[in-house]
Amino acid sequence: METIQQGTAEVRFTHPDAFREWVRQHKRREMVEKLLSEREAIARFVADGDYIAYDFSSLTRGPQALVREIIRQRRKDLWVCAEFTLHETALLVGGGCASRIDVGFLGYGNYICRAVSEGRVRVFDWTNGSLASRMLAAARGVPFMPVRTLLGTDTLCRSGARVVSDPFTGGPICLVPALNPDVCLLHVHQADLFGNARIFGTNLFALEAAMAGKKVIVSTEEIIDPLEFRKDPARTTIPYFLVDAVVHLPFGAYPAGVQARYELDLEHIDKLNAIQTEEQMQAYLSEYVYAVEDHADFLERKVGWRRLQDLTRRATTREGYH
Amino acid sequence: MLVEFTDTEFMICTAARLLEDRKTVFVGWGMPQLVAMLAERLYTPQLVQLYEFGAVGPQSQTPFVRGTMGGPTNVYRSLQWSNMNWAFSYAATGYVDYGMIGAAQIDGYGNVNSTLLGESYERPGRRFPGSGGGNEVASLCWKTILVMKHEPRRFVQRVDFITSPGYLDGPGAREKAGLPQGTGPWRVVTSKALFGFEQETKRLTLLGVLKGMAAPEVLQGMECEPLVAQAVEALAPPTEDELRVLRREIDPSGIIIRGEKMRAAR
Repeated sequence: METIQQGTAEVRFTHPDAFREWVRQHKRREMVEKLLSEREAIARFVADGDYIAYDFSSLTRGPQALVREIIRQRRKDLWVCAEFTLHETALLVGGGCASRIDVGFLGYGNYICRAVSEGRVRVFDWTNGSLASRMLAAARGVPFMPVRTLLGTDTLCRSGARVVSDPFTGGPICLVPALNPDVCLLHVHQADLFGNARIFGTNLFALEAAMAGKKVIVSTEEIIDPLEFRKDPARTTIPYFLVDAVVHLPFGAYPAGVQARYELDLEHIDKLNAIQTEEQMQAYLSEYVYAVEDHADFLERKVGWRRLQDLTRRATTREGYH
Repeated sequence: MLVEFTDTEFMICTAARLLEDRKTVFVGWGMPQLVAMLAERLYTPQLVQLYEFGAVGPQSQTPFVRGTMGGPTNVYRSLQWSNMNWAFSYAATGYVDYGMIGAAQIDGYGNVNSTLLGESYERPGRRFPGSGGGNEVASLCWKTILVMKHEPRRFVQRVDFITSPGYLDGPGAREKAGLPQGTGPWRVVTSKALFGFEQETKRLTLLGVLKGMAAPEVLQGMECEPLVAQAVEALAPPTEDELRVLRREIDPSGIIIRGEKMRAAR
């Protein structure tokens, strides 16, 4: 196949055989308990320089508590897959944790946009759909996925995609390389101690990212008995063997909401939306990330039971989330 | 009778009137979400909405929660809950009639920039969030509707960055690039006017202006010099029903629908 065009982005590419070998050596097939604290999970499974990806959004079921723990442990030089991101990229850049971002949606507000303009973080432009396709390619164990998007745009020029002449139609087709994140972070409704997990509602690419990820950390609102999965197997989103760590983190998406559990906290989200300057960012991180020991401490001292009770009371839309 | 409204309200209402019942539409983040909700409540109860967060056919709950994508109110009473790869697959296989996305800057061929302003990619004058799912919507849906604030400086000769494809550099360019045949931008809805694209040349063409305004007034300062349709339609200001649904049901906080105050005769 003749390469017609090639984007300029740096791409972290893993050969499918290298990933298979990683799975062969590191992913445990036996059902063992994987419960860790968030501190242990991030310490063990997130290293400086890792590529991290997460599922869903800043306002719904995002793995916010795990992201705060990464910042608290001051990881460096992370490469972030940004999708449905309003605040995570800004916080990770503000915490000095992220040096590169693959953009589906960069993030909301002046802080992150200015960080890019000033060259404090490098970005590579993709699209939400192409990043999802990259994740799907990795999940299928193939080196790339053909897509009929990106074509004709500057987004393609700045991505790491390639255009080739398609051997079947003869026309140009865009190929996006498989994406194997070093770390995949997922916040779920229910999990057992082995890592079987359930997400209720829609998702971006939860299963694809868990399959593509070398190290997968699942934080969960609720720990349930493994037998529950066997009683209703159609509801399993992630099977245990993909998962390396299970962290029990009720309200783990806060200030986002989790469907049928608690509403998002718009007041706190507006605090994040308001961050524009470095000073404001550091003040936020000091107060809500560095000054607390862990997620439980954060909830106790920075959110409080009354607020949590109110957010829980307001989550009255239940249809479909069980 | 003189009616008062904001330019944002006019934009949402004009876009909502374009949608067709018993069809499918892929809805992008932000303003398009409000357009779809208004259309569903007043004009197109059987229009099936698709969202990149995996919802097919939701009947969203109101009020709209600012910024949400995939929250419980956004996906309420859907026909299917899926994920991003499947959601875009429906568009890729031709099932989605309309796409609707926002834009920071466009050019005379409807190419969309939502990535950056300035010459340099590494050090842009201003950086925006980027494509999100906009590139997929603009690439794959049959007819794409762009929704944007009416600021002449956003209509340029050549966008600083083509984030999502319009007609690229003219007729036939999309197909040549490998994009699906017969797709492309169809309408541009602004807070003062409505544009389409001339069939032959694919050039941006002024189709309508808010009642009481004149074409030159709307086009003044636009670098890309749109064509003007032979008969420019006078676009009706928001109706009472539209304003009631917008102000009481969809955005009672008034934060999203606020904007420049306008007046027009009904």
